[in-house]
Amino acid sequence: MRDSVSRIWTVASKELLDFVRDWRTLVALVLVPLLIFPLFFIALPLFLQGEMAELDQYELQLEIQISNDELLPNYLIEPFNSSQLNYTLVSLDDNLENLSDNRIDGERIRNGDPHVILRLDETNTNSTESWNYSVLYDATSELSSEGYHRVMSIIQIWESEIINQTLTEANLTRSEALDPIHWDGDSDDGNVATSGQSAGLALSMFIPMIVAIWTASSAIQPSIDLTAGERERGTMEALLSTPAKRVELLYGKWVAVGVVAGTSVLFQLVGLLFAVAFLMPPDTFGIPALSIWSIASLLLSVLLFAIFVVAIELALSVRAHSVKEAGTVLGPFVLAFIIPAMFAQFVNLEGIEWWWFVAPIFNVCLAMREALLDINDISHVALWLGSSLIYAILAVTWAAKQFHREDLVESLS
Amino acid sequence: MSGTLLSVRDVSKNFGDVEALKSVTLELKRGDVVGLVGGNGAGKTTLLRLLCGLYKASQGGVVFIDKTGEERPVHEVRSNLGVVPESTGLYARLTAWENIRYHSRLNNIPDRQAWNRTLRLARALEIEDDLQRATRGFSRGMRQKTALIRALAHDPEVVLLDEPTGGLDVTSARRVRDLVRKLGEEGRTVIYSTHKLNEAEQVCDRIVIIHNGTLRADGSPKDLMDETETLTLEDAFVSLTQDDSREVDSPEPASKFQQFWSKLTTRNKTPKGGD
Repeated sequence: MRDSVSRIWTVASKELLDFVRDWRTLVALVLVPLLIFPLFFIALPLFLQGEMAELDQYELQLEIQISNDELLPNYLIEPFNSSQLNYTLVSLDDNLENLSDNRIDGERIRNGDPHVILRLDETNTNSTESWNYSVLYDATSELSSEGYHRVMSIIQIWESEIINQTLTEANLTRSEALDPIHWDGDSDDGNVATSGQSAGLALSMFIPMIVAIWTASSAIQPSIDLTAGERERGTMEALLSTPAKRVELLYGKWVAVGVVAGTSVLFQLVGLLFAVAFLMPPDTFGIPALSIWSIASLLLSVLLFAIFVVAIELALSVRAHSVKEAGTVLGPFVLAFIIPAMFAQFVNLEGIEWWWFVAPIFNVCLAMREALLDINDISHVALWLGSSLIYAILAVTWAAKQFHREDLVESLS
Repeated sequence: MSGTLLSVRDVSKNFGDVEALKSVTLELKRGDVVGLVGGNGAGKTTLLRLLCGLYKASQGGVVFIDKTGEERPVHEVRSNLGVVPESTGLYARLTAWENIRYHSRLNNIPDRQAWNRTLRLARALEIEDDLQRATRGFSRGMRQKTALIRALAHDPEVVLLDEPTGGLDVTSARRVRDLVRKLGEEGRTVIYSTHKLNEAEQVCDRIVIIHNGTLRADGSPKDLMDETETLTLEDAFVSLTQDDSREVDSPEPASKFQQFWSKLTTRNKTPKGGD
């Protein structure tokens, strides 16, 4: 037994040393997972701001169609000028069915001349001022869409001014007229869930899925490298000729893949939680309130899932003669983990049927969801724990069987 | 049976419908340096893999006989075997010493002991200055020498070498041959698989010729030449293997689906306009 443990450790430590020596693997499995979310959360807003600022620089052609030039409200002139909308005034066509009729001007806008058309027609109502309007634009053109947004934002402010003016003339405040039934106090206080519970709910909507997907995908490359890769490079035959039992070699490799995949998942989670805590707007997410029981349950479910996933990926890749062949098999196979993990996010936990907790992959995802929501249902725990254990044992047994294949000594080289 | 270390008893090995080895019987004694000679696909590598327990015989078996006469299946006594496969099987990102230490640890040899033995062997093969270098940049000869040290670092009784001088320059090949002869003088059993008949004649005191999966001859080079009334080992070999040869390329039997798919996607098309 002692010899066996020593050999397993020898294999695992050699494989880990081999990983550490390969800087590309370290970058792919450690550095990228750690930095991807922080960089994403920093870079994406900066990128979007840059793109928006770029569009803001454009001077756009606006055509205002109005029955009489003199009717154009003075209020609009200054905002149009300051929004870099070069407007021209044109008489409104009398043949239009309504202001949104685009038969006459549609082609011109599609050609970008002008970018956007504002049609205005004053109407008579009890209001201080009343207009019918429409904005013609091409939603597939970035410049036309930008023009539409500039015009709409000016019109909304104009409308708000008219409302205020009308209400003032009627001796009413905006609140009295538009918000006669209103919430007293802070509406957030009506939600009795603690911030910890709310954070748990929010995280439970995506953490189980991404942990499942990351575990499955992070284990692919090391699984292939340590099995099909060894066969392809011709190192497997020499290794199998040593006194180490094949099952010891498998367990050693399993430990190494588990450590690498686990580290990768952990770093991705750290990166994600860092980004959520420090790079997202305040109060978006809090720290989930989890009991020791829930934390243990969460870790155990991830651990059993990792045993299951790594064993299956090792077993599948050891059957392949080459890295290419193993990649061809394992690439699509990961969908078998991703799809259930995605569906598990939408399973209603209220009144959930027991069999969800024994269905492979669903069981660990649902276990993680319940743990994050601090739901501790003994029967559910017993079901997912028992079924996960069985799946893990079956996967390891199958992997061990694959590792006893006689053709394992064959190599393409 | 006294002095016999490895006994190959009526061993056959089938891969699906292909008989890679047919009823091979061999006794390998302590101190024997045996040249395993044969053409491509003759069954040499299959026999070597059977000898180190990587393959299970379809019929018969290979047993290891210790000094007390106790017989044990060969896969149970792998710590008595040192194997150098044709591919050398070195990890490119590890140094030569780390490669050797890895196998020594799997053989339960303490690092200090393995290091001392490694140094002695490295000096004999003149690579002691390269032990702490990653094997990625090694030449074929350096890799072969490292693999040889790795196979010998745990002081095995039986050494199995598959084409150990393949790709080596003249000087390196000579050093390997010298080392192999020395191993025999130390009382180790060496099985030396090679295509090169002159090399086998120089190194080995016994030649086993495998052809089409059968054992065609077993004796000293002189015995084989006398038996075939030829003047060189090469002539003796040709005389003993002059029937049609066949090669066994892949020991892995294809599944029925694979066979069907292969037939469906493989066509023998002769280019138009050809004879």
